[in-house]
Amino acid sequence: MAAYLSMGEAHRRIGDYLSRVVDAISSSDGAALASLIAVSSAPGSTSLSDALATFPDFPRLAGDRIPHLADLLVPLLRAIHSHSLQRFADAYSSFEKAASAFLQEFRSWETPWAMEAMHTVAFEIRLLAEKADRELATTGKNPDKLQAAGSFLMKVFGALAVKGPKRIGALYVTCQLFKIYFRLGTVNLCRSVIRSIETARNFDFEDFPVKDKVTYMYYTGRLEVFNENFLVADQKLTYALMHCNPQSESNLRRILKFLIPVKLSIGVLPKRTLLETYNLLEFDKHVCVVLSGAIVTHLGRYTMLLIEICARGNMTFQYADVVTSLKRGDLRLLRQALDRHEDQFLKSGVYLVLEKLELQVYQRLVKKIHIIQRQKEPAKAHQIKLDVVVKALKWLEIDMDLDEVECIMACLIYKNLIKGYFAHKSKVLVLSKQDPFPKLNGKPV
Amino acid sequence: MDSINQNAVYYDPQRDVSVSGATQSVTNCEPHVVQSANSYVPCSTSVQHDYNAAQYPNCYYNYPQAENDSSVQQGVGQRPGAAYQPITSFQNSGSYVGPTGNTYYNAGIHQTAPGYATSNYYYHQNNAWGDGSSVNNHAQSYQSYTPDSNVAQSSSSLPTSSVHYQQQYNKWPYYYDQSAQTSGGLAVVGSTASTKAATVGSDYVHPSNQPPPPGATSWKSDASNTAAPPAQVLFWFCQILTIQFFQAPGIQGYQNLYAPQAPVAPVFQNQYVNNTAGIPTFHNQYASSPFQHSSANYNQLPLSNQAHQQKALHLHGSSSNVSSVNRVSENSRAPSCQDSVTSNVLHMVNKVQIPTNPRIAPGFPIEMPKVDKSNLEADSSQKPAYVCVSMRKNDVKAVQEGSEAVMQVTGSFPVSLRTYVERNLARCKDDAQRTASRRILKEIITKATADGTLHTKNWDIEPLLTFPEVTTGANMTSTGKDSSPFSFSSSRRSPSRRTKSRWEPVAEEKVANNVEVPKESAKSNICSSLEPTKRTSNSWDLRNFVQSRQAPLSQCSQRITKKQRTGDGASLTENGNASSDSDKEHDLMKHYASSIALANSPEEKKRREHRSKRFEQSQGAPPKSGSSLPDKDATANIYKRRAVSLLLNRSNGDDAGLAVEDLDGDALTIKGTCQEIEKEYLRLTRAPKPDEVRPEDVLEKALHMVETSEKNYLYKCDQLKSIRQDLTVQRIQNELTVKVYETHARLAIQSGDLAEYNQCQSQLKRLYGGGLKGCNLEFSAYNLLCVMQHSNSKRDLLSSMASLPKEAKKDATVKHALEVCSAVLSGNYVLFFKLYKVAPNLNSYLMDLYVERMRFEAIKCMSKSYCPTVPVRYSAQVLGFVGIDEVCEGNGAVGLEECKKWLKAHGAVLSVDNSGEVQIDTKVSSTSLYIPEPENAVSHGDASLAVDDFLA
Repeated sequence: MAAYLSMGEAHRRIGDYLSRVVDAISSSDGAALASLIAVSSAPGSTSLSDALATFPDFPRLAGDRIPHLADLLVPLLRAIHSHSLQRFADAYSSFEKAASAFLQEFRSWETPWAMEAMHTVAFEIRLLAEKADRELATTGKNPDKLQAAGSFLMKVFGALAVKGPKRIGALYVTCQLFKIYFRLGTVNLCRSVIRSIETARNFDFEDFPVKDKVTYMYYTGRLEVFNENFLVADQKLTYALMHCNPQSESNLRRILKFLIPVKLSIGVLPKRTLLETYNLLEFDKHVCVVLSGAIVTHLGRYTMLLIEICARGNMTFQYADVVTSLKRGDLRLLRQALDRHEDQFLKSGVYLVLEKLELQVYQRLVKKIHIIQRQKEPAKAHQIKLDVVVKALKWLEIDMDLDEVECIMACLIYKNLIKGYFAHKSKVLVLSKQDPFPKLNGKPV
Repeated sequence: MDSINQNAVYYDPQRDVSVSGATQSVTNCEPHVVQSANSYVPCSTSVQHDYNAAQYPNCYYNYPQAENDSSVQQGVGQRPGAAYQPITSFQNSGSYVGPTGNTYYNAGIHQTAPGYATSNYYYHQNNAWGDGSSVNNHAQSYQSYTPDSNVAQSSSSLPTSSVHYQQQYNKWPYYYDQSAQTSGGLAVVGSTASTKAATVGSDYVHPSNQPPPPGATSWKSDASNTAAPPAQVLFWFCQILTIQFFQAPGIQGYQNLYAPQAPVAPVFQNQYVNNTAGIPTFHNQYASSPFQHSSANYNQLPLSNQAHQQKALHLHGSSSNVSSVNRVSENSRAPSCQDSVTSNVLHMVNKVQIPTNPRIAPGFPIEMPKVDKSNLEADSSQKPAYVCVSMRKNDVKAVQEGSEAVMQVTGSFPVSLRTYVERNLARCKDDAQRTASRRILKEIITKATADGTLHTKNWDIEPLLTFPEVTTGANMTSTGKDSSPFSFSSSRRSPSRRTKSRWEPVAEEKVANNVEVPKESAKSNICSSLEPTKRTSNSWDLRNFVQSRQAPLSQCSQRITKKQRTGDGASLTENGNASSDSDKEHDLMKHYASSIALANSPEEKKRREHRSKRFEQSQGAPPKSGSSLPDKDATANIYKRRAVSLLLNRSNGDDAGLAVEDLDGDALTIKGTCQEIEKEYLRLTRAPKPDEVRPEDVLEKALHMVETSEKNYLYKCDQLKSIRQDLTVQRIQNELTVKVYETHARLAIQSGDLAEYNQCQSQLKRLYGGGLKGCNLEFSAYNLLCVMQHSNSKRDLLSSMASLPKEAKKDATVKHALEVCSAVLSGNYVLFFKLYKVAPNLNSYLMDLYVERMRFEAIKCMSKSYCPTVPVRYSAQVLGFVGIDEVCEGNGAVGLEECKKWLKAHGAVLSVDNSGEVQIDTKVSSTSLYIPEPENAVSHGDASLAVDDFLA
């Protein structure tokens, strides 16, 4: 129960809050200011919001007391008040006003001392917008606040992405924008922001804070996955993984969710020894596996950590079957895995990537047939009859006629997964004597 | 006074006092002042204060003069106290709004008599001023008139006058304590007034005022006495205007307004159009209308040059306009205060206004100044456009006649007659014709009235007028037509002109917003002290400005001509107006200089003309549904909805790009009466007429007709589009709608009309999303097949797939589509053509999109992976040239030939082996394949479209 608050006490608390804000600004204390304007997570916000509830005339108080910051403080207090009452749409509207006023002030400050506060604003406005949209959606109204937050953040980005010391804060805002765009499904809007980040000559990307770089790489990597630009995606996601704080499991998991399919599709497979050593056969530990080839040397500690995460079992097992199918050439398993996790894969956007792994599975299957055939009759090891492949598929309970299998063989050759040629007359796949099953080795199909 | 009242209205809600303007107004005026002032003061925000500061001095300065004048001049002003009240209120409230409003009041009503007389007189003397004077009259007539026509007030939808009306409405009760009477009698009064006005010459004003406002009366008499013929013409304009306002809202509500107003009295419409149509939000509309008024007031300045006091009046007038703007915004923001409104009319007004409310009170302080600002700015910015006046005079007579006819028609005559007139006017090619036809129409109507056939005649079948081609000098015509700024008459008369500006106001708003606050004060200063000449045509400027924004180029070019004309007609223009105007012109010209050339090009002109023509008829379409009183509410609701949507749009920040037609759909929901089953599709460029729209049952028949029709796709597409249009304008969204869209989508797929299909698909998505049943699964499948084609990035396909419900994936059609997707993505051509052969529904039609691509990929793949040869027979089979079962049949040979042809066309090298079988030489082919240019390519992009189809 809310303790009864005297008018005087409420007045005092509000006044105290106001003076702290003014102090923070006058002493250029960005951290203090940031904590003060964090609407949803301000430490003293409960006592403050009680006071605001008790003293409804707070806008006038703020306006009278600190007229030069009234534009900022009045809506800010309103936002805190509305937020404490769970009226998020109102809170958002007020906060956006406050944020605009703050941005105005921020522009006029020469040094980036208030960067932390600016980031808090960017973060809070996104959070509030999401809450507001949820509220609006439940009341049947048009949830457009997140969109509005997006356009506000674009303004902030405009203020930050300039020459000078403030630029260092631009990447954070970019990441907030990414989050909004991904949530809204308007990822094509990311392009302009990316362009202005990546084409900047006067600011080295590496100079941005690490956490922002990781987030940025994660999102741009995801974008590349959409575009099936696997090499770039791999590069970005790997960067994100390597620089990600090893303590934040959830972030690692997020990155791996996309990195694994990317790695798989460029032919980087788990190392058997690693899987066996850590008994990770069933799992995403393929993560580690996947990573092992290219980055395990860098990772060292990370690898162990990832394995730990995986072992704890709270990571998705989505990719386990996928990896297994790739290793076994088990088309049925791949299809089952895809079917089982279809929703998740579709949602995260990796479904088509995984579906494309089919060709690799066929390659594996033909390779297996080739190996068996070599043992049986080495003389004809390089000639694989189409019937055999059809039979193998049938054994996997996949029903395909000759034409279709022939087409797949042709595709395998066409896409350089098999070296050789197909003789139509005799329905035989003739393999090259040298390296008939070339590895992708980091090249996409 | 009224402004104070307004303030009170605005603030009350904040204080949780539900006092409406109406209730307040019932009480005596003295208490009111006090009350309102009181209420205002505590609430006044800092913003307002600041704002006021700028204007205050000016107002104050001028004020005493006005006061004195009024007392001196006014035997007429029945309430001497009125003049003084403003002062008190002014001081009390401390807001500029208050004082200005008060002064305004005095000027408008009590002092009107002298003011008008003089001004009219002035006009009289200077013939050249015809335009300007008409403007003045127009503006002032509002002031004095409108109070009578409470009805008009109810139609807040009329941007032009609404602001004033409201203002005056409020005033009215104060002074006469008769709010009950006035409000109650609105509809009746309005209609009677209009009828009377139609028939009665100069007395029109009076009859309408059951309780005639003293000010108005006096004014009227004065005006008629002093005003020379030209002036009277102008008055007539006013009359018309008022009548229209009256009638429309009173009888039919908003929708009707559209009709009577638009077609008939172009003059007015111009303003109307400007205000309403183009402006995306209500807010803006209000803002813009005050602009015009204020500018009109400015116009008075030059006239009142001699009379010092008049200047003051004008100033006040203008400022009061500003205040009215405030008022509007206030009203809109304080919906709660409306609850207690007693009078019907007022209630209606409020209702209409509420929707316009963009934001609620909190936003007010911030926004208000902006509005004011924008007003002022608009005025100032528009100055340059001015040039106008001299031309006008010539047309006065014609205009008068035309407007008379219009007036009559609109007044009390049957709809069919109205449309008849519209039709005739719409056919006019230029102003001369229009003038002529108006005259003829007037005669016809007079005759009909005389022999009593007015209401019995079937105007719908009456032959349209024919007129000889009137030839005018190119220069003349262009000026007359295009240089609306110049000529009052031409701009108002030609519907094309006016309509054009429907699209403009957006720009206007933009400009307004750019203005800085300080300018206000400067502005008012200018008003009070500057040379009057500049201000003369302010009202025009508004319009011009708008137009110039829209088509700056054309304006400029015309302006050049105009300028010359002004010079020629220097005798007409006095007071050095011409020079100052031309200076401004010059500036503007410079500003737009770069674009002039473009604007002048004949194509551009033609296009513009064409564009503007679209609206000629639009004005004339009276939606009948709103014609009875009970419908008012419905209309208001629609309005509300529209307003809301406007606001939504605005809040999204993309108001600038808003097209009017997007809004009209919402506002003009109608009920169709047309019984024709067959109807050609015509893109709506105006409000739909109920008698052209088919009701649901007829549409059902129409759909059936299309389904069973033997005619070609173009015909069916046309018919379906018209059905869709009728559904849309009637807002019918049910199974029939789904069926229509599905039918159309299927037909479009079959005919390869992807554009039309996509339209249908997006509508269907929405309809299914709304819970309507149909063949959603079938269309999800189509959607998948389509999306795959378009997206470079796979995100669209993914999201389409992700949005499929679980059970949908079990459906055969959807399954098929998904398989096709995967076949295409993996390049499995065998599977693809297999699926092609078993495609359910219309999937195969959509798969056609991929056939060529798949075949080429396949042949590339084959020539790379096969060795040494591939039989053509085999490739023909797997690439879908022949059915698998047909290989041995005669049909197979056809397919084989086709395949050979295709292969050759794509650069494959064929050879014949020992057994006589034709083979593809893969090794050679692998390097020689290419995609040929499509043979049947046509410049318009669709080979299946032939002229004959259109003629059929």
